[in-house]
Amino acid sequence: MAKRRVAFYLMTIPALLLFFAFHTFPALQGIYYSFTNWDGFSDSFDYVGFKNFVNIFQDENVLNSYVFTFKYAILTTILINIISLLIALGLNAKIKAKNFFRGVYFLPNILSVLIVGFIFNYLFANVFPIWGEKLGSEFLSQNILGNSDWAWIGIVIVAVWQGIAYNTILYLAGLQTIPHDLYEASNLDGASRWREFWSITFPMLASFFTINMVLAMKGGLMVFDQIVALTGGGPGRSTQSIAHLIYTGGFQGGEFAYQSANAVIYFIVIVVISALQLKFLQKREMDL
Amino acid sequence: MKKTIKPVVVSVLAMSVLSACGSNSGSNAADNSTNSGGNTSGEKVKIEFFQGKAEAKATFDKLVAKFNEANPNIVVSQVNPPDAETVLKTRAAKKDIPDVVGMGATDTYKTLSASGLFEDFTADPLAKNIQPAYVQMMKDLTGTDTLNALPFSSNASGVIYNKAMFAEAGVTVPTTWDEFIAVAQKFKDSGKNAFYLTFKDAWTTLTPFNSLATLIKGNDFFKERTAGTVTFADSYNEVAEKLLKLTEYGQKDIFGKNYNDGNTAFAKGESAMYLQGVWAIPEIVKANPSIELGVFPFPATSDAADNKVISGVDTLLTISKNTKHKEEAKKFIDFLLQPENVTLYINEQKAFPAIQGVTQDDPTMDGFKEAFAAGKLADFADHYIPSAMKVETINQAFLQKKDINAYLKQLDTEWDKVADRK
Repeated sequence: MAKRRVAFYLMTIPALLLFFAFHTFPALQGIYYSFTNWDGFSDSFDYVGFKNFVNIFQDENVLNSYVFTFKYAILTTILINIISLLIALGLNAKIKAKNFFRGVYFLPNILSVLIVGFIFNYLFANVFPIWGEKLGSEFLSQNILGNSDWAWIGIVIVAVWQGIAYNTILYLAGLQTIPHDLYEASNLDGASRWREFWSITFPMLASFFTINMVLAMKGGLMVFDQIVALTGGGPGRSTQSIAHLIYTGGFQGGEFAYQSANAVIYFIVIVVISALQLKFLQKREMDL
Repeated sequence: MKKTIKPVVVSVLAMSVLSACGSNSGSNAADNSTNSGGNTSGEKVKIEFFQGKAEAKATFDKLVAKFNEANPNIVVSQVNPPDAETVLKTRAAKKDIPDVVGMGATDTYKTLSASGLFEDFTADPLAKNIQPAYVQMMKDLTGTDTLNALPFSSNASGVIYNKAMFAEAGVTVPTTWDEFIAVAQKFKDSGKNAFYLTFKDAWTTLTPFNSLATLIKGNDFFKERTAGTVTFADSYNEVAEKLLKLTEYGQKDIFGKNYNDGNTAFAKGESAMYLQGVWAIPEIVKANPSIELGVFPFPATSDAADNKVISGVDTLLTISKNTKHKEEAKKFIDFLLQPENVTLYINEQKAFPAIQGVTQDDPTMDGFKEAFAAGKLADFADHYIPSAMKVETINQAFLQKKDINAYLKQLDTEWDKVADRK
C-alpha cells in the first residue's frame, strides 16, 4: 500500500511544482505588481497602495471593455451551444458518410485562430461587401468590422464558426454515452422525436451541457486572438476585450502595474462567474 | 463534474487569466549565453542587432553580411521580430537589452531611454556627423540634453499623389489648405476619389493627424499641456475640423479598408492622393511598377510658408548600457554610419539620411527636396503623446461619430488619466 502511495506522489508532485512555478507564482507576482507603479521595464518602482484599483473604477475604457466582453461571451456561448448540439444530433443520426461529415465539421478547430481571423478579415473587407452590393443593400456592402456598432457581431460570427467544432465533438461523445435501450423503450411507447429529445437526450447530456457552457463562456471571456486578427480592438475601442486591453495597455502602453490591477479584478470576476455557473448548472444535473 | 472538481476547475480557469500578466518569471539566462566572456584573441564576439523595421530586414541583412566579412572576429546577427517595440519592452523587463538596437524615435524610445538603459552618446565622436536638426529633435523628444542614441535615417510624411491623374484633371500641386480642398473637390466632382483612406487600421489616422496637429499647433503644445496651461478643448478645434473634412473626399467605406488595401488601391489609380509617408512608396510601386508618383508637404494652413514636411527619426541606433562588447558594438554602428552604407540603405528604403553629406536623390521625392534643403522640417506630433493614451483609437472613434466637442474632451480626459496613473 505504501509503495503505491509513493508512486502516486511521484506522479503528482513534479506536476504540482511545475504548475506552481509557471502558473501560481506569476499570478502572485501579478497581484504584487498591482500595488506598485511599475511601468514594466524601469529599474525602480514605488508602492502606491490601492491607487491603481481606484483608477480602474474611474476608467471608462475598462468599463467599455467589460461591456463588450460580456455581451460577446454571452452571445457566443448561447450560439455555440445551440448550433453544436444541433450538428452533433445530426452527425449522430444514421446518415451516409457520417465519419466524413464529422471530419469536415471538426476542421475549423485544427486551424489556428489567428489564421482563421486573417482569412475572415479578408472576406469581410473584400468578398462579403461585393455580395452585399449585388443584393442591393447599403448596409451589407460595407465592411462590418469597420462599423463601431456592428463590428462585434463580425467577431461573434468568426468565433462561433470556429468554436462549434470543439463543442460538437464533446456533444457527440455525450450522445454516444446514452444507452440505446432508452430509445427503444420510447419507440415502443410511441414517443415523438421532439418528446424523445426533451425527455431522454437532453437530460442525459446534462453533464456535457455543463462543461460545454463553462468552456464556451470561459473562452468568450478570455477572447484575445480573434480581436488581434480582426479589428485590433477598433473601430475606436468598440471591440476591445478585457484581455486585449490588459495586453495593449500593459505592454504597449507601458502601464504594467495599472493593468495588473485590472487583471486582478478580472481574476475575481472570472472566479465568481465560473463558480456560479457550475453551481447553477450542476444543480440541474442532480435533479435528474 | 463532482463537487471535488469544482474548486479546481474554477481556480484553473481563473489563474490562467492572471498568469498571462506576470511576465518576467521566465528564464533570464537563455539569451545571455551569446554574451559570455570578453574579447580574447581568436574567439569570435557575437553581437545581437535588434531592429524593428520589417521593411528594412533585407537591406540590413546585406549590411550585416558586409560587416561580418570585413570583421572576421565579430559576428553580428540581426533580430527582427513582429511588434518589435513590445518585444523590446518585455526584454527590458528582463534586463536583457540587445547589444545594438535600431528603432524609431517614438514614445517607447523615450520611456526606455529615460530608464537609463542605453549608452550615452552626448560627447561621442560618432555623433559629430549627424545632422544637427535631428540631434535637436531627439533632445526635444526626451526633454533632456543627453543623447542616448544616434539618428540613422529619417522619414517624411505629407501627401503622395498620382502625377498622371493630376495632369489629366489639369490641377497643380496645392500649397495652402484652401487650394488643397479645392483640388480634392475637383476630383470628387468628376466622380473620382481624392483620397484613399484606410481607417480600419487605426494608426493610419495618425498620418493626417500628425501633419495637422504639428503644423497648426506645433509640438510645444504638448509641453504646455503637461504644464497645464492649455487644453485640447481650447486649442485643437481647427485640427479636428480639418481632420473630419478630409473624410468627405475619401472612397466609400473608409473604415472598412486597411493600409495594405490602400497601398494596392492607390497604386491602381483608385484615388488621386494618398495621405501617407514615404515608407508606403516601395509597397505602392511593388503593386504597380509603372505608376508615376510625386509628393508634396501637407498643406495644413493657409500660409504656404508654414507648411513643413513632417519628418521624424525613422531608425536610430543605440547600444545597451550593460553590453559586454561595447567596443565591437560601436564599431558596428560606425560602420552603418559610413556614407556608402547610408546611401545603400536610403536608396533601398526610400528614407532620408540623418547624417551630413548624403542626400536622397530619388526624383519621386522632388516635392520634399526644397523643404529638406531649407530645414523646413517638423517632428510627428504623436511622438509627444503618451502611447498609453492610444490617440489613434480616439481619432478613429471620432471620425466615425463626428462629434468634435466630445473628441476634444476625450483627448483631455485621457491625457489627464494617463498622467494621474504615473
